[in-house]
Amino acid sequence: MATSTAGVSRPGARPILEVRDLRTYFFQDEGTVKAVDGAGLSVYAGKTLGIVGESGCGKSVTARSILRIVERPGRVVSGEILLRDRDGRERDLARLDAESREMREVRGGDIALIFQEPMTSFSPVHTVGSQMIETIRLHQELDKKAAREKAIEMFGLVGIPRPERRIDEYSFQLSGGLRQRAMIALALSCAPRILIADEPTTALDVTTQAQILALLTRLQQREGMAIVLITHNLGVVAETCDEVAVMYLGRVVEQGPVDAIFHTPRHPYTRALLRSIPSIHAPVRTRLPTIAGSIPHPYNRPPGCPFHPRCPDFMPGRCDRAEPALRPVAPAVDAACFLYEDARA
Amino acid sequence: MTAPGDGGTRLLEVRDLQKLFPIRRGFLRRVVGQVRAVDGVTFHVERGETLALVGESGCGKTTTSRCVLRAVTPTAGQILFRTAEGPVLDVATLARRQLRPLRRQMQMIFQDPFSSLNPRRTLLDIVAEPLVANRVGDRTERIERVAELLRLVGLRPEYMRRYPHAFSGGQRQRVGIARALALNPALVVADEPVSALDVSVQAQILNLMLDLQAQLGLTYLFVAHDLSVVKHVSDRVAVMYVGRIVEMAETEPLFGAPRHPYTEALLSAVPKPDPRQRAQRVLLEGDVADAANPPAGCAFHPRCAYAVERCRAERPVLEAVEPGHFVACHRARELGLRGVAR
Repeated sequence: MATSTAGVSRPGARPILEVRDLRTYFFQDEGTVKAVDGAGLSVYAGKTLGIVGESGCGKSVTARSILRIVERPGRVVSGEILLRDRDGRERDLARLDAESREMREVRGGDIALIFQEPMTSFSPVHTVGSQMIETIRLHQELDKKAAREKAIEMFGLVGIPRPERRIDEYSFQLSGGLRQRAMIALALSCAPRILIADEPTTALDVTTQAQILALLTRLQQREGMAIVLITHNLGVVAETCDEVAVMYLGRVVEQGPVDAIFHTPRHPYTRALLRSIPSIHAPVRTRLPTIAGSIPHPYNRPPGCPFHPRCPDFMPGRCDRAEPALRPVAPAVDAACFLYEDARA
Repeated sequence: MTAPGDGGTRLLEVRDLQKLFPIRRGFLRRVVGQVRAVDGVTFHVERGETLALVGESGCGKTTTSRCVLRAVTPTAGQILFRTAEGPVLDVATLARRQLRPLRRQMQMIFQDPFSSLNPRRTLLDIVAEPLVANRVGDRTERIERVAELLRLVGLRPEYMRRYPHAFSGGQRQRVGIARALALNPALVVADEPVSALDVSVQAQILNLMLDLQAQLGLTYLFVAHDLSVVKHVSDRVAVMYVGRIVEMAETEPLFGAPRHPYTEALLSAVPKPDPRQRAQRVLLEGDVADAANPPAGCAFHPRCAYAVERCRAERPVLEAVEPGHFVACHRARELGLRGVAR
């Protein structure tokens, strides 16, 4: 089985989170779904890593694996999830018990998560404030009054108007944009070092999306946290990310700086994906280049490189036999494709 | 149609369309207010063209399209549809019985290909359903027609005995399109037909819609929030905000040189897939206005960077600033707004 080394090595900076050869499988009666099958990622302090890919590529399961909140019948089968503390201490989250106290402290404390649908992230029967106060007190030793003040401060920070009143409202009383802001406030209330945002703006309108992305960028500059932004929207990636990892059927097929990914994509899937996005700059009424075929069903994972049945550069006898490993193909860029293996040898 | 200058090329003409939804409260369900979902919308669609209705959630674009199909009965206004037989009928006021033959000529493509297909019926049942409902052909003829339709949308006719779960999102959307085309409609209303699909599949479906339009001479009313998608399929675009059209023009001038500040902000908010173009955004503050209680004057004024005193007091009407380019803004002629370059 091919292994993938984690991302890009940079002199002087060690990633604060490094995922190596992660495999998360779902064991079902009908068979095993290899949702994540050898993914590697590096997350750097103060930087934004975008994970892009289409449905079923494993981007959300990767995030859930990092936080160890994969739901049954799924489980992290192998791989390393290395979280580095400020003092250099390294912990492998893949080896921790998902229910342990230590893991619970990591969740919310070191790494926070915001979801796509802020409606379902809050309880409908408690005020948003009471949920936030509870979370704050779970991670910090504050009395109720101090926690409430902290919650109001966080609401103000994320740009919720009249925070001292909004805090006593229920989530359904807030608009989609305000709810996502409240979700971000909740996630940031314990000053995490890493914020994982899983499709944070997908359910929002474009103008609200622009507000939320601007807010995340502003908070990152202020707090210096790392952001892992999971999205299918390549426009959002281009505008907000420093590094990009492109996933396809459970594997990272290309990772590199955002400019390299968008301007000199190496992997045939990255190239095809970029060509197929509708562009606001396109001439009116033009056909789009497409990727042949469709994403295979998870039970019918193609042998060899998972992209080979749709790949314009498919090499028979090669791509359908073995899986290419993620390896350096250019400065700071890694790709998993046989096109670059010969060039390297 | 009765409009001057129309040589019978207009398939659909909507005039002063209004749809109010009552807000009911309390034990007696008393009406305490109205949501002005669509509030005086006028537009037309030429035969064979695509008009896109764009705007953010709650702007009334979906309600407008539902009114056109009479899935929702409008509160006021006219929806004039030129039937295949010749006469122009007002869909807004027709009795249910008279609507039935008209429904064959206007069909709908839905957003979510997962919930819009009955999981217990085969593709044959699903695609043939409009034929059965309208008593078109016998069983053999229907099977033949379904095979033809499946081929038309790029699916293998052998699949017709299978159930929707065996197909991907893109394939299901093709099935939905085949069903919509079963009765040879003149007008197809597509409500966010690609927004639930993956990027690579989205491109396939958009291309299919363009091809089918060229091949069958279809007219599309395309409801969407994604302006990049709209650019790829539309001849003209109508931008809606809180129940009204604020700007309407041919696609190229609307994107290249918008005349309404809301259109400018919408275009600016679209993330551009190029890291070298990280835009200096026109960031809109606040949320879309409440359609139950829209602001006085121009509904956009609380969020508008260019608003002046007049905008707070007086509601602008939709007027032509250039031939074919309509804007509802007091300052449309003086502002130099930023569009997106080709």
